[in-house]
Amino acid sequence: MIYFDNSATTQVLTEAAETAVAAMTRDFYNPAGAYSASVAVERQINSARKDFADSLLCAPGEIVFTSGGTESNNMAIFGTLKARRGKKRILTTAVEHPSVYEVFQAFKNDPETEIKILPVDNIGHVRLDALDDALSADTALVSVMHVNNELGTITDLEAVAALLRQRAPGAAFHSDGVQAYLKLPLQKLPVDLYSVSGHKFHAPKGVGFLKVRSGLKFFGGQIGGGQENNLRSGTTNVPAILAMQTAANIYRKNLEFWHRNMLLCKKRLFLNLNELEGVFLNGPDVDNGAPHILNLSFDGVRAEVLLHALEQKDVCVATGSACSSHKRGKNRVLSAIGVLGTRQEGALRFSFCPFNTLKEVDFVSQAIIELVTQLRKYRRR
Amino acid sequence: MKTALLIKYAEIHLKGLNRPYFERMLVSRIDSALAPHRARIIREQGRIFVMDIPPDHVEDAASRLRRVFGIHSLCIASCVDKDWEQIKDAAFFVLEKAGVQDGKTFKVFARRADKRFFMTSEQLCRELGHEALERFPKLKVDVHNPQIPLTVEIRQDSAFVYAGELSGQGGMPVGCNGKAMLLISGGIDSPVAGHMIAKRGVSLAAVHFFSYPYTSERARDKVEELARIVASYAGEIDLYLVPFTDIQLTIYDRCPSSETTVLMRRLMMKIAERLAKECKAQALITGESIGQVASQTIESLTVTNDAVDMPVFRPLIGFDKEEIIERAKRIGTFETSILPYEDCCTVFVPQHPVTKPKLEKLRESEALVDFEPLIQAAIEKTECKKISQ
Repeated sequence: MIYFDNSATTQVLTEAAETAVAAMTRDFYNPAGAYSASVAVERQINSARKDFADSLLCAPGEIVFTSGGTESNNMAIFGTLKARRGKKRILTTAVEHPSVYEVFQAFKNDPETEIKILPVDNIGHVRLDALDDALSADTALVSVMHVNNELGTITDLEAVAALLRQRAPGAAFHSDGVQAYLKLPLQKLPVDLYSVSGHKFHAPKGVGFLKVRSGLKFFGGQIGGGQENNLRSGTTNVPAILAMQTAANIYRKNLEFWHRNMLLCKKRLFLNLNELEGVFLNGPDVDNGAPHILNLSFDGVRAEVLLHALEQKDVCVATGSACSSHKRGKNRVLSAIGVLGTRQEGALRFSFCPFNTLKEVDFVSQAIIELVTQLRKYRRR
Repeated sequence: MKTALLIKYAEIHLKGLNRPYFERMLVSRIDSALAPHRARIIREQGRIFVMDIPPDHVEDAASRLRRVFGIHSLCIASCVDKDWEQIKDAAFFVLEKAGVQDGKTFKVFARRADKRFFMTSEQLCRELGHEALERFPKLKVDVHNPQIPLTVEIRQDSAFVYAGELSGQGGMPVGCNGKAMLLISGGIDSPVAGHMIAKRGVSLAAVHFFSYPYTSERARDKVEELARIVASYAGEIDLYLVPFTDIQLTIYDRCPSSETTVLMRRLMMKIAERLAKECKAQALITGESIGQVASQTIESLTVTNDAVDMPVFRPLIGFDKEEIIERAKRIGTFETSILPYEDCCTVFVPQHPVTKPKLEKLRESEALVDFEPLIQAAIEKTECKKISQ
C-alpha cells in the first residue's frame, strides 16, 4: 500500500505506540492522585508539556492538552468570545478548515457578533488589503490558518500580526496550526492561540493541544475537576499525550532531513506528471508551499474516479480534505481560489510523510499517467 | 400477571383448506423474528399468542413483529388465569396504563372463545364496566367512540386483557408465494419495490451492479445497508454484487451514445435473469415508474422488458416520486438511500438519451457487440453475500 494521504491522518510511530502501551498497562495512574505513582505520571505529563512549550518557544503553562484539532479550534473561538461581552466583530478566511469555518457560521444569528469572511488570492493567501479594511476597534478575534490543509499554502503570520497590532490591538489572534506544526521550521509564533493535532505527525488520534498565551482574556470549555489550568477539565489522557510527546520529539530530531525528503517527493511527483497534458497545480508553487501537500487538477477526469482507480493499484490519495469529501457539491476552498467547474472536479490532493520514498512516487506517477490517459477516453458526450 | 402479545393476522383467514399451511408459515416467520427473545409461540383459533416475554423485552418484540408480513395487528395484553378476581385486576391495570384522567371514555369488549367459562360475553362486559366505573369514578362510558377499548378474551388456557392494538404490515408470510430477484441500485425506489413484493409473501434475492472505479466502495456498503433494512421485513436476502464496468465501457466504445442507458439496462436485466434462475427465483422486481426518467418511458420499458423472458414486477409503476418517498420513509430506507455516494457514473449518461427507443433499432445496436463473453465474465466475478437483519 502506498499512502499519500498524510494530511488526513498518519501511521502512528512504533515508538509512540509503545509509549502509549506502557502508559496504559504499567504507568496507568491518574496524574491527579496523591501517591508517588501518580506523582511520577504527573511529572511525565509536565515533561511533555515542557517539550511542546519549547517547540513553540512559549511557557509550559500556555499549553492546554485537548482531544485534537477540532476541539482546539472550537475552544479557541468559543473561549475568546465567552470572555468578551458586548458588540464585536470576528474575522476569518474563506479557506479555513470546517472546525473553524463552521464555528464562525454558528454565530451568524448572534446579534452581538458580526462575522466577516475574508477573501483569499488565487493561491490561497488571505488578502491583506481585505483584512486591513475589515479590522476595526471592536474586532475581538481574527482566525487565519497557518498551512492550508488542501493546498499547502503558508500564511505569513507575522504580516497578519503586524496589521492587527496596528489596526486592532485588542483582537485575539488565533491560527489553526494543524497542518503546519512540525511541517515548517519551528519558531516563536506571533499568535495568541494556536491549534495542534497529534495524529497529523504520527501520534495517535484523539489528542492535541491549544496554545493559549498567558494573560489572554480566555474562558475554558469543559467544567469539572479543573485539570489543564482550569481550562479543560477531564481526566488527563496520559497515554495519548505521552505518545504525542514521543512522536513530536522524534520528528523534531529529524526535522530538516524529513522536510527535505517530503519536499523531494512532492517535487518529483509534480515533475513526473508534467509528462501529462492538462495537469494544473492548485495552490502555491512547489517551492513555496508546505513540503507535504500537493494539489493537482487533471483535465477531463473526475477526481473520484481517478482516486478509486488508483486505489485498485493500492495507492491512497484524497479529493479535497477528508473532512469534506463526504459532502456532495462544491469544494469551498477550491472555489475560493477560483478553481471551478471541471478543474475543481478533477482535483486530487497528495500529502506526504517523511517515510514516503521516491520509488513510491515514481510508481504512483506512472500509474496516474496510464490511468488518466485511459480515463480520458471516457468523457461524457 | 404476565405479559403476552396477541397477534391478529391479515389475509390468511380468507384461505380455505390451505389455511393451516399459511398459519404454520406465519408462525415460523414470527419465530425467526423473535429469535433473540426466546419466546413461546402458541397458535389457537385464529390467533397467535407470544407468551413468556420478559416485560422489558416486550417493546422490542412488538417492534420486530410489526415488520413481519402477514400480521394485521398486535396487542400487548395482560395474561391471567380465568379467574374473575384476576381478570378484574388485569382490567384495572390495563386501564391505569391507558390513562384514566378526567373525561377519558371507555367501552368493554369481550370474546369468549372458551364457552365453558361461567360468564357470557355480555355478562363480562356489564360486570367489568361496572367494576371499572366504581374503581375509577372519573371514567365515562362511550359505546360508539371509546378512547379506551378495554378488551377481554377468554381462551382455552388463560384470559387476555388489553386496550387498543398496534398495526402490523399486513400482507402474507414471506415464503408462501415463491421467490423473486430485486434489482437494487442504491436509490430510493428499488428498496420500496422489494418491500412491496415481499409483502405479498414473496421471498427475495437481490442483485446490484457496481462500476468500480466509477462508483465507490461506500456505494456498495450503502446497498448492503439498504438490503439489510429490506431483510428486516423480508427475511434473509442473497445479495449478488456484479462488476459491471467492462460492460459499461464496451457499450460506450461500440454502441450509439444516445442508447447507452437503455442498452445498459437490457444487459442488467439479462444478468439478473440468469442469476435469478441460478437461485430459483421466478420473477424480477424493479423500482421503475412510468416516465420518471428517459429509460422509464413506455417505449424504454418495452425495450428493457424484451431482454428477458421472466415476468418483471414493477410495483411502483403508477406511483409519483412523492408517494415513493413517503413509503421509503415509512419503511426506513429513505435516509440511507439519499446518502450521496454514487455520482461518478455520469460519464456514461448520455447528454441526450433516446426517450422513445425502437426495439428493432436497439436489438441491432446490441448485436454490434458479442456481449455473451462479457456477461459470463461478469457472472463469474459476481460475489454473493447473505444479508440478514
